[in-house]
Amino acid sequence: MASVIYHPAYRNYSFGDNHPFRPVRVDMTLDLLRSLGHAVRPVEPEPATRRDILGVHEDYYVRRVEELSAGLEVPDCQDYGLGTPDTPAFRGMDEAARWHVGGTLAGARLICEQGEKRVLQLGGGLHHARRNFASGFCVYNDLAAAIQALTRHGLWPAYIDIDVHHGDGVQQILYEDGRAMTISLHESGRFLFPGTGEVHELGSGVGRGLKLNLPLEPLTEGASYLEVFEEVVPAALSSFRPGVLVVQAGADAHFDDQLADLMLTTRDYERIFRRILEWADAFTAGRVLFTLGGGYSLSAAPRVWALLSLLVHDLPVPAEIPEDWRGRWGAVLGGEPPRAFHDPSSLAADIPNREEIAHRNRQVARRLLDAAGPYWAGRNL
Amino acid sequence: MLVRDILKRPVIAVSGQTTLEDAYRTMQQHGIRHLPVLEGETLVGVITDRDLRLATSALAPSPLSPGRRVSEVMARDPRTADPSDAIEDAARTMRQRKIGCLPVVDDGRVVGILTGLDLLDALLRMTGVDKPSGRLEVRLRDRPGELARLTSFIGERGLNVHSILTHPDGAESVRAVLRVGSIETRLLAEDLRRSQFEVVWPPEKPWPR
Repeated sequence: MASVIYHPAYRNYSFGDNHPFRPVRVDMTLDLLRSLGHAVRPVEPEPATRRDILGVHEDYYVRRVEELSAGLEVPDCQDYGLGTPDTPAFRGMDEAARWHVGGTLAGARLICEQGEKRVLQLGGGLHHARRNFASGFCVYNDLAAAIQALTRHGLWPAYIDIDVHHGDGVQQILYEDGRAMTISLHESGRFLFPGTGEVHELGSGVGRGLKLNLPLEPLTEGASYLEVFEEVVPAALSSFRPGVLVVQAGADAHFDDQLADLMLTTRDYERIFRRILEWADAFTAGRVLFTLGGGYSLSAAPRVWALLSLLVHDLPVPAEIPEDWRGRWGAVLGGEPPRAFHDPSSLAADIPNREEIAHRNRQVARRLLDAAGPYWAGRNL
Repeated sequence: MLVRDILKRPVIAVSGQTTLEDAYRTMQQHGIRHLPVLEGETLVGVITDRDLRLATSALAPSPLSPGRRVSEVMARDPRTADPSDAIEDAARTMRQRKIGCLPVVDDGRVVGILTGLDLLDALLRMTGVDKPSGRLEVRLRDRPGELARLTSFIGERGLNVHSILTHPDGAESVRAVLRVGSIETRLLAEDLRRSQFEVVWPPEKPWPR
């Protein structure tokens, strides 16, 4: 069983057509699935309530979002990351952001209350939002809200964040939580926003050893990514024994993404998604909630997310992109849309010191396991 | 950053008449390695855990017994720092003399102590990430106005610069490493290149778009 969650009101979460975080990325995904004959029939959520939001954000922060949303002046808004070039204020911002939180919460409820196994929320994934600070296009943290809802229901979540940026907001909100594991794979903060996500950030208090970070070298390719993914994630899951997986499936680790420097192809994403579904079967009785996230290449992100939807529904991956879709989106793409669904199996990219990159990633994985392992051993006593 | 911003206090000290055994116990109790030696309020020396270990080691030509006095082992006339010294001056003194601490003296009184670890903490503070931000590294010509041209360019786009580090890069240029409060540093880098800045990070992608 699998469900998709989506509501047209998600489109209102938009910072303008010249901003990378554009709703058209999801329009293109939905349209691609339709063209392929696998249109989604989404469950429509309700927007999250103010009370839902206050579970993960400070009320003085929420008040400022509401005021900006109503078109009021908030002189100190930049102290809260709001009204910045990354996360500009817009009319209706509060409600638009609550729709995304509502969607991810609806996904959590489908799993808790209706026994759904696989849920794909075609929105949300706003992992940078902190308790009192907006950043990186994220106003309200839908993931942390859903993780806390699942936890209250007795399903302890393991959160897997494959967005190319560190999931700093989710980590911050859950840093001392002993009932939720977070695992973020990202381009190292030494090079990429937001700058955090080093191995030594392990959580605190009863959450110590449960917040895991795998910072990767710029220009990391699929083979190296998958190697460390395999080394760390199953070991962490078998120690934590989660009740559900929550996955932020950002598509911006793709080589064509204009905001970052990793080198994944759609073929790598297929392997990653298949492994996550297998781990859900192995560790959480199949329970897994996916959200979207970053992913700013209009040529890549719709294919990555359509792929995710196909795999979640156990549908085959097509060889080609339908002609009608290519016709409809060529102008928006501003270039020739891809003909094949998958990227070529090898990229014509000239990557210097490929071996050195793989070596460093291996070292980081090892250091992470060395640092977190003792805490896992303690939990099993 | 000044010495007064990073010094540690209150200072744990001993007198010249303290026994080596007691000095050692004081270090163990407080988890420290350096003790200023005072006579009254006047600094007369510094004793370190290394001084103690060398003086009492069985490998020493004539090992001292634990009951001997600190004044027999301490380094006399130690180097000190002033609270208003720049930390880089303190760092240079410690590096040149190969010593691990500087008592901080103001008006003849010891008001604090600075160790190598405090300098490392300062380094981490200066290079650390305390707000979500992306890294930008630009090579600038070493002449007036170039850094200002860069920061104005960023400021005009409404972006906040959280930190800047610059260092010499060859004879005629400097590298400026900035942390900018934006997830869109790649797009900023493209804009900078179009305006003839030499951006070192983020690099151009090694494949055709």
